[in-house]
Amino acid sequence: MTPADISIALPLLILAIGAIVTLVHGALTRNQAMGTGIAIVAALGAGLWSLQTPAVLVAPNLGLSAGGLARLFTGFFTFMSAAVLILSRGDNTYRGISGEEYPATILFTAFGMVALASATNLLILFLGLEAMTFGFYLLAAIDREQEVSNEAGLKYLLMGALSAAFLAFGIALLYCITGTLAINDVMQATLTGTLPGPVALAGWAFVLIGMAFKLSLVPAHLWTPDIYEAAPPPVVAFLSGGSKGAAALLLLLLLPQAQDLASLRLPLFGMALLSMLVGNLAALRQSRVRRMLAYSSIAQMGYLVLALISYRGGGFPAAAFYAIAYGIMSLAAFGAITVLERNGCGTTLDEYRGRGFSHPVAAAVLAVALFALAGIPPTVGFTGKFLIFASAIRAGEITLATIGILTAAVSVYYYLRVVAALYLHEPEEKGQENISILETLVLGLSAVLLILLGLFPSQLLAFLQMHLP
Amino acid sequence: MTTFPVLTILIVLPLVSGICLIPLRKRQTSAKNLALALTVVELAIACWTWTLAGSPPPPGAPQGFFLFEDFSWIDGLGIRFTLGMDGISLLLVIMTALLTIIAMLASWQTVTERTVLHYILLLVMESSILGVFLSLDLFLFYLFWEVMLIPMFFLIGIWGHGRKIYSAIKFFVFTLAGSLLMLLAIIGLYLIHGRESGVYTFNFSALIGTHLDPTVGIWLYAAFLLSFAIKFPLVPFHTWLPDAHTDAPTAGSIDLAGLLLKTGAYGLIRFGYPLFPDAAKTLTPLLFIMAVAGILYTAWIAFAQKDMKRLVAYSSVGHMGFVALGIAAWTPVALSGSILQMVSHGITTSALFAMVGMLQSRTNTREISAYGGLWGKVPILSCFFMLFAMASAGLPGLNNFVGEFLILTGSYKVAQTATILAFLGLILSLVYTVRLLQEVLFQEERQPLALDDLGFREICTLTILALGVFYIGLHPGPLLDLLSQPVNILMGGAP
Repeated sequence: MTPADISIALPLLILAIGAIVTLVHGALTRNQAMGTGIAIVAALGAGLWSLQTPAVLVAPNLGLSAGGLARLFTGFFTFMSAAVLILSRGDNTYRGISGEEYPATILFTAFGMVALASATNLLILFLGLEAMTFGFYLLAAIDREQEVSNEAGLKYLLMGALSAAFLAFGIALLYCITGTLAINDVMQATLTGTLPGPVALAGWAFVLIGMAFKLSLVPAHLWTPDIYEAAPPPVVAFLSGGSKGAAALLLLLLLPQAQDLASLRLPLFGMALLSMLVGNLAALRQSRVRRMLAYSSIAQMGYLVLALISYRGGGFPAAAFYAIAYGIMSLAAFGAITVLERNGCGTTLDEYRGRGFSHPVAAAVLAVALFALAGIPPTVGFTGKFLIFASAIRAGEITLATIGILTAAVSVYYYLRVVAALYLHEPEEKGQENISILETLVLGLSAVLLILLGLFPSQLLAFLQMHLP
Repeated sequence: MTTFPVLTILIVLPLVSGICLIPLRKRQTSAKNLALALTVVELAIACWTWTLAGSPPPPGAPQGFFLFEDFSWIDGLGIRFTLGMDGISLLLVIMTALLTIIAMLASWQTVTERTVLHYILLLVMESSILGVFLSLDLFLFYLFWEVMLIPMFFLIGIWGHGRKIYSAIKFFVFTLAGSLLMLLAIIGLYLIHGRESGVYTFNFSALIGTHLDPTVGIWLYAAFLLSFAIKFPLVPFHTWLPDAHTDAPTAGSIDLAGLLLKTGAYGLIRFGYPLFPDAAKTLTPLLFIMAVAGILYTAWIAFAQKDMKRLVAYSSVGHMGFVALGIAAWTPVALSGSILQMVSHGITTSALFAMVGMLQSRTNTREISAYGGLWGKVPILSCFFMLFAMASAGLPGLNNFVGEFLILTGSYKVAQTATILAFLGLILSLVYTVRLLQEVLFQEERQPLALDDLGFREICTLTILALGVFYIGLHPGPLLDLLSQPVNILMGGAP
């Protein structure tokens, strides 16, 4: 181990050690607040370390690197897990989820995300992705008292295992013809612009199917609504913001290394188109807010894939920007839902009526997040969609861009219905909003970020443009 | 002087005022007073910029703009925070500041629930509309263009009547759908210009010179036109408006008719024609048809309305048809008339909506058939009502006459049939206005109505508007002087 190795691996070490300490501490003292506190400190520590230290590109003995992109996303994932931990405190008490395994699992999941972000070879990439997904198998079913939560967890496990198998098989096939696991070599060798051989083609097909599951792209989207509806909302925030961000990052680590992506265009085009259409149209018909957000998430990932296809017009930075933006939107939306549900709000749209006045903080944050998801300025959702459509038109994907923008217009309707329920009805009961200071802080911060990043995207964008072609 | 960012202050001040109101949630009266005081300050600043009109353009400003501000914003994409003010913007900015005050006064006593939020939304509305009128960067323009929907959505939805939620959502989705296509067109224009010149920018004056393939030009312009036609609103894209007006609170109607509709016309004048001169010329017949159809159709529909507010809403669409006619003709006289008509329409329609609101708050009904014999019972109210209704119908000496006269004169040479048909529309509008006056003011009382005459605050509100009516009607010279230079520049002539 050289100092460079340690410097790169330190965030991973912090997360892993933090998780173990949380577990041991919990076993010894059963002081849950303290356990969560340790986990939050570990997550923040890892994040701050990676944002504060300069990028290191080569780790001599590990299949890891810590380039700018990895550093940025490490910070993003760890801060998000800290935020999720804060939001989970109140929610877990409310749902009767106890034990130190919860914060420890969050940290292990973050560990997987960070490993994925720093991977330089396909094996580490796969291990990181699976470590993360494994964490989510537990988290989705952690509300053991609730049957729906168990069912959702089982569904996610089966689907996830299937997709992992696809992904592993795809990677094996790619290894089979290139003889290497290093990302850049595999990409250079298999995607050259001419049609790859049958084995490489099959390998890529399996990888794409696996990724479609993780990103919940149509036609591999069916697990999404159930999980979004049944899992505890902070877990959904983490899943929606973190795991999809990680899956997008995985594609952003792979695809830019290729010489030419022409042979992947058709399947990606189809998935983007179907996801935008199916996601947005199905969301119109939902009467439960979380289910609606699940379909919305399918549609949002369609926009992200649109950006990936438009790589010639600057789509990669746009996709990375949107992944981060979507992460913050998910955190804000499901964070607000966490607070609302704990305050006795049910899951259907009707039960959200008038909450804007009885639960002002959570409702305001939810409204900002919904406007961002709908792509209304001055939020980051608008700026992100603007970048995506600009790159799509520049890359010549005018048909898909037009369909995308028309479906975005449709999507405004269902987002607005929730805002209308929140603010355009009189509150049914006069209740005091039960929200802790830390929760207010996390929610407020994410809402402010949604607007600030929308108005001043320059720095983040310049950074992403520097690290992505 | 040039270093003092007065335009930025104009846009930011209402927003900051809105934020200042948040801590006063529990103290309604002080919040209302503060909001009003700050909007008066805003109006004062807007009027002060008038004194600068005619001064030479500051460095970097396009021709005709006497105030210009340009700050770095999103450099990577060629987006800058560019604001500019010429005679056209100046008139609309002053009108916006004035009508916001009127809207606040109109809500003074009628809005009793969530009052502070109401005033905050009015301020946000003012801010975003001023942004639309002052932006010279297409990205910035689009940003304000969409932001202004949010406060309006809440104004209609929270304080509205009847099917307010349906109307609020319809308003938002309808207008947004058109805007999104314009966003694609803006991006398209940006990319074409970037490829052509190597400079990727959203700067309006840089984009003007873009050389466009005729077919591409028509598609891009059509997207702009659609978006503007929905805001305008031109028949057949007007269907959201009567619903929105009917269900909006009075202040919402004032903002909607007085300000929001103007952004469509302004966008067409400022961006549509200059950016796509050839395509605009090709599609001029379409604009003529939509304008005349709007004038005639809405006059016909207005005649059949039973609800006073719906009647005013349709008449408002009709007047905007005149504005569209003047723009379509694109002669200096007609265009000046259109811009003046935008201001006049803002004043008279807002006044009528305010008065309908006053009647409604007294009797709880807007049905024309419920009224009658007001002339004898509430003389002051009736006088004002008659004044504004006649102004709206285009009585000479009052404000709308000037604009409509200029539009018709200026258009006649270019499009005779359209002008003649529009003139018929003018007569029709007189018919429904006289009917309204007759039924509400002069007919015998149909059912006993207990109503008080105007209070001091209401008289003040209406007097301000009445002064505007007479000023534009009798002495439009200074305003037309203000418009002559920018209009000449738009026509491609020397300043």
